[in-house]
Parts: sequence; structure tokens; C-alpha cells
Amino acid sequence: MASDALLRLQGVVKQFGHFTALHGVDLDIHEGEFFTIVGPSGSGKSTMIRLLVGMDELTHGAIWLRDKRIDETPANERPTCMVFQSLALFPHMSVGQNIEFPLKLRNVPAADRKSRALELLDLLRLPQSYYSKRISQCSGGEKQRVALARALAFDPEILFFDEPLSALDYRLRKTLEKELKDLHHRTGKTFVYITHSLEEAMVMSDRIAIMKDGRFEQIAVADEIYSRPVSRFVAEFMGEVNLFEVSTEDGSTLSGAGLTGNAPSGLAAGSKGLLMVRPEYIRFVADGGTADYTVKGRLLEEYALGSRIQYEIETTEGQTLTVEKLREDRTTSALGGEVTLGFDEANTHLIEGD
Amino acid sequence: MPTSRSTRIVLLIYGLLTIFLLYLPLVSVGFASVSRARYLSFPITRYSTKWYAEALESGTVRDLLLTSVTVAAIVTVLSVIIAFFGALAFARYNWRYRSTFQKLILLPIFFPQTVLGLALLMWFNALGVIPSWKTAVVAHLVWIAPIATLIVAIRAYSFDPALEEAARDMGANTPTILREITLPLLMPGLVSAGLFAFLLSWGNFPLSLFTTGADSTLPEWLYAKMVSGYSPLVPTLGIMSVVASFVLILTAFAVMWLIKAMRDSKAAQT
Repeated sequence: MASDALLRLQGVVKQFGHFTALHGVDLDIHEGEFFTIVGPSGSGKSTMIRLLVGMDELTHGAIWLRDKRIDETPANERPTCMVFQSLALFPHMSVGQNIEFPLKLRNVPAADRKSRALELLDLLRLPQSYYSKRISQCSGGEKQRVALARALAFDPEILFFDEPLSALDYRLRKTLEKELKDLHHRTGKTFVYITHSLEEAMVMSDRIAIMKDGRFEQIAVADEIYSRPVSRFVAEFMGEVNLFEVSTEDGSTLSGAGLTGNAPSGLAAGSKGLLMVRPEYIRFVADGGTADYTVKGRLLEEYALGSRIQYEIETTEGQTLTVEKLREDRTTSALGGEVTLGFDEANTHLIEGD
Repeated sequence: MPTSRSTRIVLLIYGLLTIFLLYLPLVSVGFASVSRARYLSFPITRYSTKWYAEALESGTVRDLLLTSVTVAAIVTVLSVIIAFFGALAFARYNWRYRSTFQKLILLPIFFPQTVLGLALLMWFNALGVIPSWKTAVVAHLVWIAPIATLIVAIRAYSFDPALEEAARDMGANTPTILREITLPLLMPGLVSAGLFAFLLSWGNFPLSLFTTGADSTLPEWLYAKMVSGYSPLVPTLGIMSVVASFVLILTAFAVMWLIKAMRDSKAAQT
């Protein structure tokens, strides 16, 4: 296999009885990349990681690591390692013994094991005194770091993560997300991360794959997925969004969703599509103001989100829109009052035929 | 809610009464064992430890103890081995007949032991096996192995399967996983299962009565002597048997404590 991909999936199918969890998935992951697979529960992402690590067998297809086919290789012979959702730290061993476990399996001498374990404690900013602590004496965040240290001690070609942050509280999760990204920079390893949290994916990843019903909907960098989603599913999955179902007969007059404006350039005559605009790109248009697209509605609700204010507006067509403004740009319109909203074509994205 | 004074007094009386009723019979056997008289009679007029001396010298007693210990020891070892694998099948692995297995394995515990003993005796006869202490081992296993399996299964249920998967992911093969992960984590369950197995076999009467044939275990002998021809050795051996069980439990606790202490100090050193 001549390719620059570190890990390559070709037509991977996984069936459980009559249920197909993965429908012929192709994927290339590059060396040194932080790659995140995001999807709701049941999308097949857990099945995917179990296949990648070697804990399940695939039904059809192939997995290549560089130029070696590994889908027949059992988990204990693959040069990859995973941080489990439950972390899977061995409760009957100390922190040090946990970190040294993969080294002990390779018969590394005790002194070398210990010095490596202490190095890793430093790398993960845990005090060296933790070496002899029991796992039960560690806090949630410390356990995360121990699990990471153990995985790094293995020195894998690819480090897999199965939602390891999902059990932590918000603040700690935010801290660890940044630490993980930082660790990725410092170690230069390839990270493949699975999560249902888009926020987590956005903060950390180089590239994101969105998964739905056993298929990839879109694989791209975070910005691309955010601003140019390929489908309604991806658009809605990637946070708050306004989608207008629009169509045009002649290629220039726009109809649908109560929008006034010209048909977007990508919309051919006689076709329909979804015009997407994120809440932060919609503005309140004063009398006499202009915008590429305008829509009238009634201000329903106002929520304070800290630095921003979120508004809910019901259009004349009955659609509910979400608008977000910075605190200093808040509207003077009263709740229940009529408002005109506007946005420009440059800030929209057209999802065709959806 | 604070406990009122009267409730506390009632609870105290209840507790003392329970303990008193539970242990009074044992205490009276203890007294009987140190009576000099040849026949069981209260009040005891003269005390003596001569029956203990006699029991320790008696060949019959030695044979009885040997039979009981041999049966209990073999039952313990086999039960723990069966329980280890049985518990993994019971609690850890999903397989087709798992729920049937879970129900069937519990059944022997609920059979009246006398019926189970009789059934086994008839079965041995049908097979042409002459009953001896060896058939008693089989009989005890039928009843005790399920109990041991349950005890280990409780431990196995509380054990995250990801631990074994993680070990495998880091390069461990199946024997290594068993040795480094599964066994150490199930160890407390295995120790208590072994303890239960030994004590249940050691004290078992109904199954032994039907299945030992010409051999005799300690409980059987105690019963036989009570029905026909009382011997002053009966309370003596009874007390010795209780003391032996007690010592065994204490030893088990000591061993568990030692293992934990060793593990801690090892963790602190390495």
C-alpha cells in the first residue's frame, strides 16, 4: 500500500446479526494528526473504535497501519493503545505499577520502568510522590492523567481515546481538553478521539469526522464543518443554526421561509435547498437598513448567555430562529414586538437538495 | 433521627437475649466437655480435662478428624476451582445458555439435603460405586460448589470488563491477564468461597450420612454416639470442632490482612 496515511480503512463493514453498525466506511488518518470522530449515541463510533483497537472483528473490509494489514491482528499484538471511557485503571495496583504495566509486559528492567514512569508523571504534571499512591486515592482528573501516562508508557503508534472525559464535571473537562491538545503538540503522536460532544471535538481536533447511522457524513477541519456542513444533520449537530427551506423557479427569485432577497448563486433554476446561517451572523435591521436577505418576525424570548445574548424570534411563516448578539449589540426592541432580521449572502451556506 | 432512651434499652435487651440464646447451648456443651462424669448430667460436680487428653490420644478420633479434614480440604480446593470458572461464566461472559446455567446451578442449594443425599446414594449404587469418603466428596461438591460459585460471582459482577480489555490492549495474553488482573481482583471472593466451602463440608451431616458408606466423618460420629451409647468424648469433640472452625476463620482473616499489607508495602517500594 503506497500511501501517506498512517491508518487507512477500506470498505469497513461491521454487522451484529442482522444489524449493520458500519456500512462500508473508508477513512485515512495521517501521522501526527489529532483526529476526532463525533456522533450521537448509536451512530457506530464505539463500534468503530473497538474495531480500530482490535477488540472486535470486522465483517468485511480492511484496516491498514502504514503498509501492514492489521485487521486480523489481535489487540495484544497491535502497536496501538486506547484510553478507555472508564479509564480501566487496575485498582489492585499503585499508580506507578499501573503506568509500568505495559513496560513490565515487555520485560523492561525495574529500574528503567521506574525512571520512565517518573518521567511520565512529570510530563502529565503529577507530583512524583504519586508513584506509590493507590488508584483509589486519586481524584477524577488525576486518574485521567494516570491513564494517559500508562497509555504513553506503551508508546503506541496511535493513541485512541474512547470518551475519557465524559464522566467529569464541566470545568475539569475544559481544563483537560486543553491539556490533551497541549500533550498532543508536545508528544507529536497521532491521537484518534471519539466523543459525542462537538465542543470537545472543536477545541482539540485537527480534523473531525461526523458519524451518523454507521456512515461518515463529513470529514473536514473544524471550521469547514462549522461553516460549510454538507447536510442538515451536520449543520444541526454542529451547534445552534438557522436553516431556511428555499427554492427558486427561475434562478433569481427566492421563495420559501418568508425570506426576501435574491436566490443564492449556487441554487439552480427549479431546484431547492437549505440556506444556512449561524445565529451570530443575523442582525436586527432598523427601518431603512439593508441586508442581502431579510425576514420579519416577532421577538419571543431573550436569554443571557454571559458575554452574549440569545434571542428567539418567530417568523411570519411560523419558524423559530435563533440570533446571538454580543452584549453591547443587544437590541432595543421589546419582547413580543415586531422585528426585521437581516443577513448577508457571504455569511450563508447553501446545502443543496436537502 | 436520634434514638430515644427507651428504644436503646429495648434494643440492648433484644441484642443480649439473642446472643444469649444463640451461644448458651454451645457454652453448655463446653461445660459438659470438662465434666469428669461419664454420663451427661447437670449440675457438674467435678471438673476435669481428662476427656481432652483421651480424645487427643484416641485412634478413632484421629481417624475421624483425618476423614473430615481430607473431605473438607478436597471439597475446598475443587469448589474454589469450579467457582472461579463458574463465576466467570455466571457473571462475566455472555453466552447462549447463560441464564439457564445461572438458574440450574442454584437449584442444588434449595434441595433438602437429605433428599439430595438419598438421591446421590441411589445414583452411586446404580453406577456400582461403593460409597466411601470419596463419594462424600462428590456429594458435598454438588451442594457446596454452587454456593462457592455464587460467592465468587458476586465479586465478578463488580469487576469492570474493560480492565481485562485494557490489559490485552497493552499487550497481555490470556494467561498473563488471568494472573495479573483477573485472579488478584477475584482473590477476596475466592478466599471467602474457600472458607465457606471448608466450613460447610466440615460441619455437614445429612449428605455425609448417606454417602460416606463405611467411613465416618466427625458430625456423623457425634450423631451416632448420641443415639447409641453416649461417650463423654462427644462434647469434647464437639468443642474441638467448633474451636477448629474458629481458628480457621481467624487464620483466613490473618491471611487476607497479610496479603493486603504485603501488597501495600510492595507498592510503596517498587
